Amino acid sequence: MTDWVHPALVFVVGALVLPLLKGRLLQVWLLVIPAAAVAAVAAMTPGEFGGFEFLGVRLLIGKVDKLSLVFAWVFTIMAFIGCVYSLHVRGPAQHVAAFLYIGSALGVVFAGDWFTLLVSWEIMAFASAYLIFASRQAPAVRAGMRYLMVHITGGVLLFGGIVLHGMETGSYLFGPLENTGGLAYSLILISFILNAAVPPLNAWLTDAYPEATVTGAVFLSAFTTKTAVYVLIRAYPGTEILIWLGAAMALYGVIYAVLENDCRRLLAYHIVSQVGYMVVGVGIGTEMALNGTASHAFAHIFYKGLLFMGAGAVIHMTGRRKLTELGGLYRTMPWTVALYMIGAFAISAFPFFSGFVTKSMVIAAAAGDNRAAVVLMLTVASSGTFLHTGLKLPYYMFFAKDCGLRPKEPPINMLLAMGVAAVLCIGIGLWPGVLYDLLPYPVDYAPYTGAHITGSLSILMFTALGFFLFLRSLDPERTISLDTDWLYRKAARWFMWFAEKPVARWEGMVSGLSDTVIWRSLNAAARGSLSSDRDIVDAFVNGVARTALAWGASARRMQTGVVTHYAGAMIGGVLASIALYVLLRSG
Amino acid sequence: MDIDFSIRPVLAIAVSLLAAGAIWGFRRQADLRDSISLVASVAKFLIVISMAPTILAGGTFQITLFTILPGVDFAFRVDALGMVFATISSLLWMAAAVYSIGYMRSQKERAQTRFFVCFAISLSAAVGGAFAANLFTLVIFYEVLSLITYPLVYHKETEESWTGGRRYMVYLMGASKTFLLAALALTYQFAGTLDFKAAGLFNDAGLSNGLLIVIYLCYLAGFAKSAIMPFHAWLPAAMVAPTPVSALLHAVAVVKMGVFCVLRLIFDVMGVRLMDELDLGIATAYLVSFTIITASIYALTRDDLKARLAYSTVSQLSYIILGAALLSPTSIIGGVAHMPAHALSKITLFFCAGSIFCASRRKNISDMAGIGRRLPWTMAAFFVGSLGMIGIPPSGGFISKWYLVVGSVQAQEMFFLVVLLVSAVLNAAYFLPVSYTAFFEKERDDPAMEVAAGDIREIPLITIPLVATALLSLAMGIYPNYFLSLARGVVP
Amino acid sequence: MIKRLVHFFGESGKSVLRWRLFMASLAAIVIADFLVNRDHGEFFWDFLPGWAAGYGFLSCAAIVFVSKFFGHQGGIMRDEDYYD
Repeated sequence: MTDWVHPALVFVVGALVLPLLKGRLLQVWLLVIPAAAVAAVAAMTPGEFGGFEFLGVRLLIGKVDKLSLVFAWVFTIMAFIGCVYSLHVRGPAQHVAAFLYIGSALGVVFAGDWFTLLVSWEIMAFASAYLIFASRQAPAVRAGMRYLMVHITGGVLLFGGIVLHGMETGSYLFGPLENTGGLAYSLILISFILNAAVPPLNAWLTDAYPEATVTGAVFLSAFTTKTAVYVLIRAYPGTEILIWLGAAMALYGVIYAVLENDCRRLLAYHIVSQVGYMVVGVGIGTEMALNGTASHAFAHIFYKGLLFMGAGAVIHMTGRRKLTELGGLYRTMPWTVALYMIGAFAISAFPFFSGFVTKSMVIAAAAGDNRAAVVLMLTVASSGTFLHTGLKLPYYMFFAKDCGLRPKEPPINMLLAMGVAAVLCIGIGLWPGVLYDLLPYPVDYAPYTGAHITGSLSILMFTALGFFLFLRSLDPERTISLDTDWLYRKAARWFMWFAEKPVARWEGMVSGLSDTVIWRSLNAAARGSLSSDRDIVDAFVNGVARTALAWGASARRMQTGVVTHYAGAMIGGVLASIALYVLLRSG
Repeated sequence: MDIDFSIRPVLAIAVSLLAAGAIWGFRRQADLRDSISLVASVAKFLIVISMAPTILAGGTFQITLFTILPGVDFAFRVDALGMVFATISSLLWMAAAVYSIGYMRSQKERAQTRFFVCFAISLSAAVGGAFAANLFTLVIFYEVLSLITYPLVYHKETEESWTGGRRYMVYLMGASKTFLLAALALTYQFAGTLDFKAAGLFNDAGLSNGLLIVIYLCYLAGFAKSAIMPFHAWLPAAMVAPTPVSALLHAVAVVKMGVFCVLRLIFDVMGVRLMDELDLGIATAYLVSFTIITASIYALTRDDLKARLAYSTVSQLSYIILGAALLSPTSIIGGVAHMPAHALSKITLFFCAGSIFCASRRKNISDMAGIGRRLPWTMAAFFVGSLGMIGIPPSGGFISKWYLVVGSVQAQEMFFLVVLLVSAVLNAAYFLPVSYTAFFEKERDDPAMEVAAGDIREIPLITIPLVATALLSLAMGIYPNYFLSLARGVVP
Repeated sequence: MIKRLVHFFGESGKSVLRWRLFMASLAAIVIADFLVNRDHGEFFWDFLPGWAAGYGFLSCAAIVFVSKFFGHQGGIMRDEDYYD
């Protein structure tokens, strides 16, 4: 029990030491820390660790079982890949933010109680927001603020829900939630699906991820949404509504991706689409479905990371992100193209790639649960996935028209990182058993059947046929698409109008009361009631003025008239109170 | 119950009075004069904290100095609530003393002796109020505090300062002279005593409900330092004062005196049972909820950083009153715990505003683009302070927010749960832009600005205290037991 | 080697060859689809060879045209500086 190391602690320590390092030492540290975290995960055995009391609540920071382990494995390995990818970034700030982000994500994964979960959840929001702000361009700063505000609101809902849940059940242990009809159930569900980017709460992701730094986006794509998937598996397995939300989500992402011009925003919409599969799996709730969700999350982190790394490499070398401005890069960046395409094949679930053995498990689970509509919807989404990530994006980014640029391959660390991810994408596809052994439930699924292979290939290759035939319709356009963030972006303007007009006017009026009403009436009262005692008052005032002089304030600035009235008012008040007292006493 | 008859409460108050005299005496030797404040603050804190073990164990300290009328003494009694207020006042005076020295010297302010004298006496008044055993003593120190902070508000003696000072005095004195004295008179008349009693002092008086409600409202209006709307306008007006004044007095001492008095009103004058019977608790809660939300909305529109902080203070003070007014044990703990949590974070934020002003002469947030590069420590501390206001772990503000939220659920009042959560989001909306403007927006070279961007740098005597208070606000989040134990001691 | 492979897909000169390979692969897949074991199946389409091919093509068409409809007629697509 004592020799259990929380991998989050590794990252927190890593983050604290980072600002002290520079140059090569910093780069070595960047690799050592995630490697150490991977080792910590490898050394773990299932059990409960790190229980203690805080504020009268029983906390458990280390709930280790198959489910948390499988997520911990993929998080730490991806952390290593992401760090290799960002080795070239100078200055510790982004790395510190990334470490805190990964550490807090691991905090959620191992959280055995709601309190730990909440604290980790909040830290994740801030740490990840930094990676968006760090771009420093004005649109990035604004997008970062919107991102942070959305997540703070989500955190506030989670806070409310957790408190209500704790009061309802008397326990803060993290586990499946029952729908007792209370507010807690809904509040927590909403905050979880917000982080999972389920529409209509998805706009923060598609708004902010494309504005993040090149290296930051790689981390962002991996952690927030998958952490949300993890907690959904824990708390809401078998919740019917998630099935429909997930299926709709899968299609939602695919539809928006058709219209998208910014390459990373297109990939961001695909995150929404892919997480849809995972959400469906959680909703179905059978062992195969949950296995499917976990394995899909595992594989997704690597191939989505690879896709973001590839697109990021292009942005890094060309400075451009819009598909209308790119093209013909295959000539000088063949390795980037090839590695990107491995990711694309993986996400599309081509046989012998990781998606084939994971995504299809979710669809099979849906089939096993007799959900024909869901299977059909998810299959359409699969077609869409290949259409966008495997065909549209690489076609317009790397091939098609020549944009005139001849960028070199990205720095070696970025290629290496992509290479490692690519190897994993293929490796999982060829040896699914290794992943299957990590899954929470025993796996009863055999992906490599003839029908499955030809079925998948049919869908994908005939989608490709459609792509080439409808090529003209798919040309990217210089537009943006309105998503649900329209609501709060416009609403925010109306709210500020409200704050600045009615509220401000009210405040001005109330604050001005002292000058308008009170001061004038005090003056009038002082003048009226004490006219006969002016001599006494003047004598008093002179005494006050002398004392004031002794304090260094210049008498002329004291404006004796003002003081007369004021002192008069004060004395009047005291006299009035004494009068009242005497009256009451005698009455 | 351990009652210790001790001169320590008086000592704690007297220390800074003596210091005031000494400051005036040594007014010609600036360094010696300034170090007196420092020494006195440390001494005061040590005396206050020496009483802590007894209070934490459930005991009190008492001493009666003299009697004015039957049932009206000038007396002191140290209990848990008083310890909370006294601890934060004396603790933060140490930081403020260092900060004031740095600020005054950097700005080459005039009338520094008057400043330090008034500052010292203010702290006496604050601690005096904290240890007051009855309403009479409390109100005396309450009024002294208003009077002695007046020169601090008009300190700069510009047209703006005089106007702000005038508004300050009219609101504070006007409210206290009209409502507070009336309430005191009525209380003495009908209850025969002004002493604080744990279960309230009206229980045996046989007063009609109407009269009790009138008396309560008079007190509430009279204690204008608690900044409940519409009696809050003195707070933004007081922002014309130099920042050390705004930081310690208008973020800690004066405003906490206000809410402290309201808490005394609820617990030891009215008593929880009476508050509940008359539904005064819930009525007060609704009243302050309006302040919480409106002040935050208004804060969003302010570009002047100190104005934004002032309205944030107005809003946050009502959190404390809300916690007490909900009358459930957990909410009371939350409200009381929010006193130190808010004080630590808010003083940090004000210190930062002053630091920015001294280093760059900039007051408006829109002029602070990119200043994080020049003042990294200051802006980092500002961010930490913001976390406390929003209620993000690991700050002290998270702890108090937790108790407040649990408390409102415990009191079965969902409306206030919503108010607290909405307020947290509003706080984020007006605090985070300061941080991101400072760190992530491009610095502009504005020739209209007095100090050019390239010349901005941290001033050590100013920066060190604000880093210290920022760390303290985090420390409260990680080790809140001292204040939480005291807060538990307040629950009737 | 990677470079050669990538260039194969990029060079305009090779486009006819690419089309031919593509068509051949499509044909091969459809044929294979008829030959595979179809014992296990949940829904009616699991027993239909060639279903996946048709469904894939229709999905692609549907996605492209429905999305563009929402985008243009539905008013989702706007000018780049809409929010500024």
